[in-house]
Amino acid sequence: MASEHSEIESTTCNDASQFLLLPQIVLSIIEKVLNQVLVLDPLLSQSLETIQHKRLIVEIRDWQQALQIVFDGKRLHLFTAARDSDYDCLISADINTLLTLKNPAMLTQLIRQDKLDLQGDLNIAQTYSGAFSKLNIDWPEQFSKYMPDAAAQQLYLNLKSIHHNALNASTKINALVSSLFQDELAVTIHPLELAQFKQRNRDVKNHVSALEQRINVLIRTLN
Amino acid sequence: MKETPEKTTHFGYKTVDANDKASMVADVFHSVAAKYDVMNDLMSFGVHRLWKRQTIASSGVRKGHYVLDLAGGTGDLTAKFSQLVGDTGQVVLGDINSSMLKVGREKLHNLGLVGNIDYVQMNAEALPFPDNSFDVITIAFGLRNVTDKNKALRSMYRILKPGGRLLVLEFSKPKHEVLSKAYDFYSFNLLPTMGKLVANDSESYQYLAESIRMHPDQDTLKGMMEEAGFEQTTYQNLTGGIVALHRGFKY
Ligand SMILES: C[S@@+](CC[C@H](N)C(=O)[O-])C[C@H]1O[C@@H](n2cnc3c(N)ncnc32)[C@H](O)[C@@H]1O
Repeated sequence: MASEHSEIESTTCNDASQFLLLPQIVLSIIEKVLNQVLVLDPLLSQSLETIQHKRLIVEIRDWQQALQIVFDGKRLHLFTAARDSDYDCLISADINTLLTLKNPAMLTQLIRQDKLDLQGDLNIAQTYSGAFSKLNIDWPEQFSKYMPDAAAQQLYLNLKSIHHNALNASTKINALVSSLFQDELAVTIHPLELAQFKQRNRDVKNHVSALEQRINVLIRTLN
Repeated sequence: MKETPEKTTHFGYKTVDANDKASMVADVFHSVAAKYDVMNDLMSFGVHRLWKRQTIASSGVRKGHYVLDLAGGTGDLTAKFSQLVGDTGQVVLGDINSSMLKVGREKLHNLGLVGNIDYVQMNAEALPFPDNSFDVITIAFGLRNVTDKNKALRSMYRILKPGGRLLVLEFSKPKHEVLSKAYDFYSFNLLPTMGKLVANDSESYQYLAESIRMHPDQDTLKGMMEEAGFEQTTYQNLTGGIVALHRGFKY
């Protein structure tokens, strides 16, 4: 029963994250930040040159998420990946294992230890791992810069406190994800809220038509 | 064979002569072309960018591919495709409307995207390409404007290579009642007003709201794609089904 329950819960989370297109938001921000770094750091582009247009899929097992990365010679592209997506190299592991790849020498070691599954061209994973290991990006800061509205404000605060507490990298990300999910779950609407929402809608509608009339009057006066 | 004069179709909620729809749709897009990108961001709160990202993610596009971004308008998808297919691939931005193509061409030029993009005026119902030409075809927020959707889907199927895929990104039917109500209110009250205030064109945005409601729902569109010959046809609801991404393959 317990496993059924957690399954239901995770479906709800996935639904909510699907609804808000969270993976797409997060990946688009990471993509933006990495591409800014690429512009400023020609060495990074150079180190990726040999794997231009090769598709790397990274499967994060415990999150049941996969992402694909492509370098087109100038920019990096990051997308969600599906089960049937084609690739030139695929690596699959838990998030904790993947985070240790900051040290490229770990790759073969982790494969030998059966902690990481690799299919396709090993060189692609090694090149990315080597290139990214040199980066030093303050992700919480970056996320706070790109997420605009009130919900993001909350995320920003969460990230900030996590950052200050200097937790290790994997805890940071886990906390981020669970706070995102909590935010999403709050999205479900109660009937009372719906009634209020409808009332507010009516108010807005009245305001809009009042505004429209005033604009019409203004236009007439201008003419 | 003579065309029956009574043949009609929908233009938003209005019933119009089928022969007139294309030019009426053209008028809508001539009149919104200049403000199209601004309105897109405003109306969808920027979320259309995420819907489009998901479309690219599902396209399986890669270096060397030949891609058609049909009803491509101002070229958001074309821009990404052009980078991903590289110098050995090619992207065709196809649209029925010259004003939209012009805005698209200028935008992509300014982004420095040149060399592997063709701009071609075309009607989705009669695509001017030989059989088995493309690896990927996308039509984003375009199909609902097309008069004969079945004919357009058959035409896309014809020019797709075996192994190629079609992606249809389009407004659809929200899954939940509450969302559906909120969305109705938004599109029939706020949207035309925003259209009026920003683009001084409430009629075009009224048309937009109506055309969305007249568009086939998820399962109907899936059936239409299958009828046109597509296989392994699936769809993914985005933002609770306000938008759906349909995918089908030709084998
Ligand atoms: C809402 S815009 C979408 C533009 C772009 N794909 C996007 O997602 O931003 C719809 C486009 O469909 C085009 N269109 C309408 N009917 C068409 C047809 N029969 N054949 C080709 N394009 C058509 C319009 O000119 C317009 O540019």
